[in-house]
Amino acid sequence: MEFDWTPADAEHRERVRAFLAETLPADWESISKGGPGSDAQAAFSRDFCASLAERGWLTAHWPSEFGGRDAPAWWHSILGEELWAIGEPRGPQYMNVNWIGPAIMRFGDAEQKARYLPPIAAGQQLWCQGFSEPDAGSDLAALRTRATLDGDAYVVLGTKIWTSYANHAEHCFLLVRTDPDSKRQRGISVLLVPMDLPGISVREIPSVVGDRYFHEVHFESVRVPSSCLLGPEHRGWDVVLYALQYERVGAARYARAARTLDRLAELAQERGQASDPLVAEKLGRARALCEAARILTYRVIDERAKQRPPSSLTQIARVAGTRADAAIGALSLEIMGTEGLEYGSFADANFRLSMTAGVAVGATEVQLNLIAARFLELPRD
Amino acid sequence: MDFELDNEQRLILESVEKILADCAGPARAIELQREGAYDGELETALRASGFDRLAENPAPRWLETALVAIAIARAAGVTAFTAGRFVVPGATAGDFPFGDAVVALVDAQRPGPVRYATAADVAVVLDADRVRCFDLGPGAVRPVRSNYGFPIGVIDLASAREMPEIKIHAGDLRRYWRLGLVLETVGAMSGALDNTVAYLKERRQFGRPLGSFQAVQHRLAECAIAVEGSRWLALEAAHGGAPAEASAVAASFAIEAAERVFADTHQLSGAIGFTHEHDLHVWSMRLQALRLELGGLSAHSREVARLRWGFA
Repeated sequence: MEFDWTPADAEHRERVRAFLAETLPADWESISKGGPGSDAQAAFSRDFCASLAERGWLTAHWPSEFGGRDAPAWWHSILGEELWAIGEPRGPQYMNVNWIGPAIMRFGDAEQKARYLPPIAAGQQLWCQGFSEPDAGSDLAALRTRATLDGDAYVVLGTKIWTSYANHAEHCFLLVRTDPDSKRQRGISVLLVPMDLPGISVREIPSVVGDRYFHEVHFESVRVPSSCLLGPEHRGWDVVLYALQYERVGAARYARAARTLDRLAELAQERGQASDPLVAEKLGRARALCEAARILTYRVIDERAKQRPPSSLTQIARVAGTRADAAIGALSLEIMGTEGLEYGSFADANFRLSMTAGVAVGATEVQLNLIAARFLELPRD
Repeated sequence: MDFELDNEQRLILESVEKILADCAGPARAIELQREGAYDGELETALRASGFDRLAENPAPRWLETALVAIAIARAAGVTAFTAGRFVVPGATAGDFPFGDAVVALVDAQRPGPVRYATAADVAVVLDADRVRCFDLGPGAVRPVRSNYGFPIGVIDLASAREMPEIKIHAGDLRRYWRLGLVLETVGAMSGALDNTVAYLKERRQFGRPLGSFQAVQHRLAECAIAVEGSRWLALEAAHGGAPAEASAVAASFAIEAAERVFADTHQLSGAIGFTHEHDLHVWSMRLQALRLELGGLSAHSREVARLRWGFA
């Protein structure tokens, strides 16, 4: 057991910090307020990721044959932690490097790897994730979007919803049902779909979370070349499980929450609450939630760095992270009072970003089911 | 970063687990509890193994000592290992100023009965900004009956002899005490949760195991998250030599976790969970005692805010 960073890890963190200090523009704070999917941040991410890529850091943890540097797995989590702490200047591209790229490396053929990985590694491409549907949310395996092979193309018909970043993305990591007679997990496939194909329409779903946060993506008999199929036909569920293990702890939301909390503590003091024991207690408890999420996430990265098969520790870390996120969102409003009701204010922006924590990437209740079954080995419901 | 035991740590834990399998466990705890007795035999066995001195100079091993402290609490051992073998050496940079004596930790700002006082040779008394040590002669401790899993007693310091030659810094004692408290809490929570999970896999109602109901599963899963978070925060802090902020963070998280684990394990175990014939109480009742020490959740959390952001 060892809880210190190696000198190389610590050095990497310092390099990342120095780079951020000199790269982020003076108005970064206002660019980042809308979250990774906002127009401002999505646009900013193209320049920012390109400069990360130039230094070899965007995909340092990837194998060199795919544009990486074979760096230790920890480097990627150090980078993620530092970037989330300041509001994730990679914008939607954190998904590319966390799990879309690795899924393509694992399941893609040579031609797909050559086509998709270099633009991701260069920080030049935005992706969105076509998973949820009107009748398949938490129950993802109930998805119904159809893809029927017709010559050299799949004809895709169906609707995806709650899709973040769809308005900016060049590609969609799309789950479809290729076997119409199949049930549940069997008969699902993954298509890597260019978003400019005829028949794809993107509509914003207005929400209280913020502008252009959720979208509906409709596929009206879209012809997707069969070369876009990732992994074996009908066996896309294996790809999904692989990707989700990465996605669930891919975003270091605890780092963002911890940073928000530091700012909140400052604001509380400025507002004359420095000697209020109740405020101090609440802030202290929230800090403990962030720290628990951090160490539990490290526990997962350690497994990954040692290339152990993914375990239910992933779900444990994920739920701990959502708890921290939600608690700090609520505390932001509580401490800032009715000032926080103004759209775009510090408390409002943080509260709205925290709202989705327990739902995004699979509802907390689904994670708890998995912890009960796999970690505690409780009998099936 | 490495979250797996190295070979030596594994060997230490295997040896300690073996001692605990022979000398500790819930049945032994229940037997001792009946008389309010202390487990001198367990202490002797640990001393013979040498694993009670892992924190000794010149190279004190805080992480390994912490792992042993958690294992003892998980086995419901009735021994003041954490106070005498982790907290006091911690606060004295690896000294064992009282040798093999049994140590009771006293919080001068919160009067009341003290854990392990009835067996203690020495009381280490923490005040706001100083520490005093006392040699507890006969008659200095009045035993008190208690259902909270530890032998406890009221110490009359007026009839004890102060040991002015022993200097301990209040801040150092407080941070190691806080972390020691977390180690004991982690072990007790693990015991309570493991006991409840095992019981609910077997216990059938409505024609199926109670542990198969989703309403039950989610609560146990939440408990597991609380226990694992506490465990790793504690081990990380122990590895770092109990930094004040990290120890307070671990205590805030673990004591909040203890409230949840106590409430849920008892609720889900039903009426049998309250009885002596069922082992849950051996661990769960201790959580209530641990929850109160050093001012509890509120004090630990305010300490976090004080150290991190300069709150009063």
